[in-house]
Amino acid sequence: MSWRDHYGFYQHSAPRVTHGGIKAQSRKGAFGEKWWARRWIATLESFQIGARLGRGRNYARNGQVLSVEVEKGRVQARVQGSRPTPYDVLIKVKTFSSGDCVRLGRALAGQALYAAKLLAGEMPGDIEKVLEKMGFSLFPGKLRDLQTRCSCPDSSNPCKHVAAVYYLLGEEFDRDPFLIFKLRGLNRDRLMALMGREEAKAGGRGKRKGGAKIEPVMAEKPDPLSTDAQLFWGGKELPSGWLGGVRTPPLHAALLKRLGSFPFWRADERFLEAVEAVYPGASEKGRKILAG
Amino acid sequence: MIILHSAWREGRLFLWGEKGVNGEGGQPSRKPARRKDAKPPAHPRLAASGEIADAVRQAPMEFFPAAGDEAETVAWLPSAGGLPVPSSRLLGGMPESGVPAELENWRLRGLWLAPGVVMEWLGRCMDRKTLGPGMVLGDDIVFWTQALRFASSLTAREQFIPSLARVDDELVARWDAVWPGPDAGRLQELLKVMPHACRCLRCNGGAPVSSRMALEDFLRVQVDHMVRSSFSPAIAALNRRRRKEVFESIHEHWLHALRSPEGVLRDAEGDLEQLERQVREWRRPLTVATASSFRLCFRLEEPLVTGEGECAEAQGPWVVRYLLQAADDPSLIIDVKDAWHPTAARAMLLRRHDFNVREYLLSALGQAAGICPRIEESLKKAGPAGYELDDAGAYEFLTQKAWGLEQAGFGVMLPSWWTRKGTRARLSARVSVRSAAMQNTGALSLDEVVRFDWKLAVGDAELTAQELEALAHLKTPLVRIRGQWVQLSGDEIRAALEQWKKKGLTGALSVRELMRMAMGAHSAGRGAILEGVAAEGWVKEFLAQLQGDAAYEELPAPEGFCGTLRPYQIRGFSWLSFLKRWGLGACLADDMGLGKTIQLLTLIQRDWEKQNRAPVLLACPMSVVGNWQREAARFTPQLPVLAHHGMERARGADFRPLAARQAIVVTSYALLHRDFDLFKDVAWQGVVLDEAQNIKNPDTKQARAARLLKAQYRVALTGTPVENNVGDLWSIMEFLNPGWLGSRGEFKQNFFYQIQVDRDPEVFGRLKKLTGPFILRRLKTDKKIISDLPEKMEMKVFCPLTKEQASLYTAVVREATEVLEQKEGIGRRGHILATLLKLKQVCNHPAQFLGDHSAIEGRSGKLARLTEMLEEVLAEKDHALVFTQFAEMGTMLQRHLQETFGQEVFFLHGGTPKRERDEMVDCFQNAAGAPPIFLLSLKAGGTGLNLTRASHVFHFDRWWNPAVENQATDRAFRIGQTRRVQVHKFLCQGTLEEKIDAMIEAKKEVASGVVGAGEGWLTELSSEELKELFALREEAVQE
Repeated sequence: MSWRDHYGFYQHSAPRVTHGGIKAQSRKGAFGEKWWARRWIATLESFQIGARLGRGRNYARNGQVLSVEVEKGRVQARVQGSRPTPYDVLIKVKTFSSGDCVRLGRALAGQALYAAKLLAGEMPGDIEKVLEKMGFSLFPGKLRDLQTRCSCPDSSNPCKHVAAVYYLLGEEFDRDPFLIFKLRGLNRDRLMALMGREEAKAGGRGKRKGGAKIEPVMAEKPDPLSTDAQLFWGGKELPSGWLGGVRTPPLHAALLKRLGSFPFWRADERFLEAVEAVYPGASEKGRKILAG
Repeated sequence: MIILHSAWREGRLFLWGEKGVNGEGGQPSRKPARRKDAKPPAHPRLAASGEIADAVRQAPMEFFPAAGDEAETVAWLPSAGGLPVPSSRLLGGMPESGVPAELENWRLRGLWLAPGVVMEWLGRCMDRKTLGPGMVLGDDIVFWTQALRFASSLTAREQFIPSLARVDDELVARWDAVWPGPDAGRLQELLKVMPHACRCLRCNGGAPVSSRMALEDFLRVQVDHMVRSSFSPAIAALNRRRRKEVFESIHEHWLHALRSPEGVLRDAEGDLEQLERQVREWRRPLTVATASSFRLCFRLEEPLVTGEGECAEAQGPWVVRYLLQAADDPSLIIDVKDAWHPTAARAMLLRRHDFNVREYLLSALGQAAGICPRIEESLKKAGPAGYELDDAGAYEFLTQKAWGLEQAGFGVMLPSWWTRKGTRARLSARVSVRSAAMQNTGALSLDEVVRFDWKLAVGDAELTAQELEALAHLKTPLVRIRGQWVQLSGDEIRAALEQWKKKGLTGALSVRELMRMAMGAHSAGRGAILEGVAAEGWVKEFLAQLQGDAAYEELPAPEGFCGTLRPYQIRGFSWLSFLKRWGLGACLADDMGLGKTIQLLTLIQRDWEKQNRAPVLLACPMSVVGNWQREAARFTPQLPVLAHHGMERARGADFRPLAARQAIVVTSYALLHRDFDLFKDVAWQGVVLDEAQNIKNPDTKQARAARLLKAQYRVALTGTPVENNVGDLWSIMEFLNPGWLGSRGEFKQNFFYQIQVDRDPEVFGRLKKLTGPFILRRLKTDKKIISDLPEKMEMKVFCPLTKEQASLYTAVVREATEVLEQKEGIGRRGHILATLLKLKQVCNHPAQFLGDHSAIEGRSGKLARLTEMLEEVLAEKDHALVFTQFAEMGTMLQRHLQETFGQEVFFLHGGTPKRERDEMVDCFQNAAGAPPIFLLSLKAGGTGLNLTRASHVFHFDRWWNPAVENQATDRAFRIGQTRRVQVHKFLCQGTLEEKIDAMIEAKKEVASGVVGAGEGWLTELSSEELKELFALREEAVQE
């Protein structure tokens, strides 16, 4: 951290210790495992802000970032520096025009792969090429696509506070490729709808709009108790073999791994590691009860 | 009698008990006053909570309900005439049919069970109908045991994620069970069979919860508890390290709560809301999958085949097709091609399921693409519906991708030749043995060492080394040989070649080892799987006989055997003899009544005649010791038999010389252990366990003792189907053929878990193959057997007296003989008949004689034997009639049998109204799930009725008039009866029952007129004859 001393120079000072800030899940090395997250971080690192990058990384790992809110076209965050009051960080990203959105949807509707990948938590590999052909980029590349602001006294922009938020965002993109679209003004449902509409047009017969309902709720049907003593008290036989076999999972915690990291995780223990440890023992317990 | 019930509400199970309508401690079922705006009346037939707590403790577990667990709650129950309708006919007092029932509120008193107790207790209730005499489990509890199974299965398969739940307005960290894919179908199956009683409790607002809510809540709570109770010390320690109350973040708090016994989170409401939002977001992909009413499936389709037979050739590519399968109806399958652009009808179908098909498909395909790159390829266009692949691709799909996709929760459908286990042709190794022809078998033994060659084959075609070499260079591991797809992995072939080159293809093994190989005990390890032993000469013959592919020598019945053996009994006895000759243990598991006793006696008689005169030790339940003695005396009178039981039995140094003179020493299981020191020093020819299910638990003293005895051969007799009960099999096999199934630990690992938990049919098949040659089980319904059996078989069942019965018996006899001298004429006659009656009552049950409504359990030898035999009848899913001439005995039997088996038992007696009689008969004959046991009083039920559904008839006491008994027997044995009928006539051994029976048998030929219509003829006997008749022989008494 730094403050301006009486000579007007920056001096470093340690930032205040935070409790329960967001902690980056990567312990060392690059932030973000996936190419699109790296691509996002590459943008930051192209700004040539020197040692501020390294400090930003440490901020991200130590939980100095207290909160992050991603909205359409902007990211708002609070970062704990050396002053008692946390700094406010704002990252503004240029949003796509609605015409751009439609064009983008049309371009991505040609292959089911794009929507499928996104829904499965992956950014399609050649998405940049597709967008490039249309003359725009998914990642804000140039300064005019991206504005950053921080309430700290550092005149450098981006400062390390911005960098810390930027790094954490990279990790979030890892988890949720839709986030970057959201930032560019295209939320998940709208993007799915746009891709679906185009596809439906190509097929010509589709009637149902995509993205209309994502979590169909089981309608609670009326289920009154019967007055018939047999229905009320009597059970029926289950079909034989209804339970099927129970093999030990060859890969533990598959469901957990499929869901991946937790959004903006804020604890010292790493989420996946801590939770995964529970599975093998629980599985054994279940088998024991079944074996009687 | 108490029927236990349980219902779920808000995270806990409420356990309560319902009593019978008439007496038995239940409150009189008076119509309670019901006032408006007063609290609902108490249920009039509630069991006291102390009794329920006892019931819970009866399932062997440590559970002492705390004071706070006992509580009152209110339930909706079907009621008629102002009273709750009994849940079962077992409780009596069913309302007149036609009286409409309605739901009314009743106050219940019972126990709230915490999730941990639920887990333990329901675990003990699994597969049971009663918890003990008079403690019956309601269908609702049976349902919850199934639900607990499902919860365990979800936990075992790791179908849960860390999550949150709102409980009583508090946020709780929870390991949340999820059921995407096929589990949704299982949940549906459970819902279909759920009794409404499972959710009959009033909730806030009055209405009960829906079945789905109740079941899902139960599963979530139980899975959460299982996970929490499974934590290793290491995991628990993670929490203990930071016991401070302040958490740095809500996430840290959540993690801590997930690992602690209670999961309540107390934090700023804003933080909690944020956490809730984040958890929701995080688990969203699963939520979509879980809520989806269809599942994505992949079907591998074979290339089209042109031509026929040998010339048939596959043309064109293989195809993996994408399909949607409805979760609630697996037979509803929609081609994905039609789902992208559904026709009106399809669209309606999908809409009816309220299903966003497009988003689900894309998301599912996206995930599948991560597992299988070929799927990703296929997505590079709009509306993908599948992809094509070549032989190598198909092989990869079959061996790897299909498995991965299945693991991820997708459906996979493969050609049947692949999935049908055992029929898949692949590289296999066979051991080829050439041995001398079977001559002079006496000299051969299983320890003989023989030389063998390895032979490698694909399907039926044997391969040469050159051919194998050529195959090793094949690019595609899936080749079509003679119209059949065969899987050949290059690795397997190379491993086989290597083995071939290194070790050569010959070796030497003992016949015992070969036998194990032939029965699938070994696999060849790396490389080819071992598919069998091809032998020549005597080894071939032996193996074929062992596996039932060739007949073993059928032996003639030994000369000294008195009686006729039925053809299947000859086969059974020859089979026993065959295994005995090779030193192998045998389990004869024929249905009850097929004559296991006779087959074994024949075997012993044969040895006796061949001068193999070392004794055979036979252990059996106390209740059948007398039966064995009598059967031996009847069929093999030359054999000296010693019944080793009772206070007078030989001990110490006396025993060995005494035993050495016997052909058979019969003893009870209890003594097998207690007198083990006597038994262990005798050189037994054989050790036989009758009712061998008595040693199914290998840890019991009797099982240990049985295993430790030295003998030349071992036989187990049982009427229950051991081969289907994997858990019990090891102990019996370990007694018969030690080490055959491996150690107990190995058995658990290799068989038990995989069959009991994984339900792996291949492993089950392997176990059957491995044990099959040692188990012979014939059912009386087998076509082959039926033709050997007479239409009616009569058997006498000799039962011991309990000590109490014996002392009552002697007291009656003493008093009677004193009085006898002083009586004459009509007085004498009356006295004799009265004495006969008293003695018969004592033989039946002390409580019948005393008429004091005292306890039923454990006081009568007949009752014990009847219960054992009926248990077998029920296990065979058969139906039985039980006759008694005493109404009061019938009432006792009804109560005892209902309480023991937890199901209704009909009782028809003189006081039964005509309408009820007709209903019972009609129900017994025709209704599905009708009570399988029908009690009848000889007088009321002995004539006129048609009860041919029964194929067992029991005469609990005797009328001493064959004509009357036969008439009763004919209720089952008459026109319309398609099966063989077994008649079991109960007698107390050493009592007048046995003696009168002998007299009738002796006079049978003369004329039935001699013995007359009733028991009057007995009064004509002289005093001396009567004294002799009444006298009790000591050996009649059980320990």
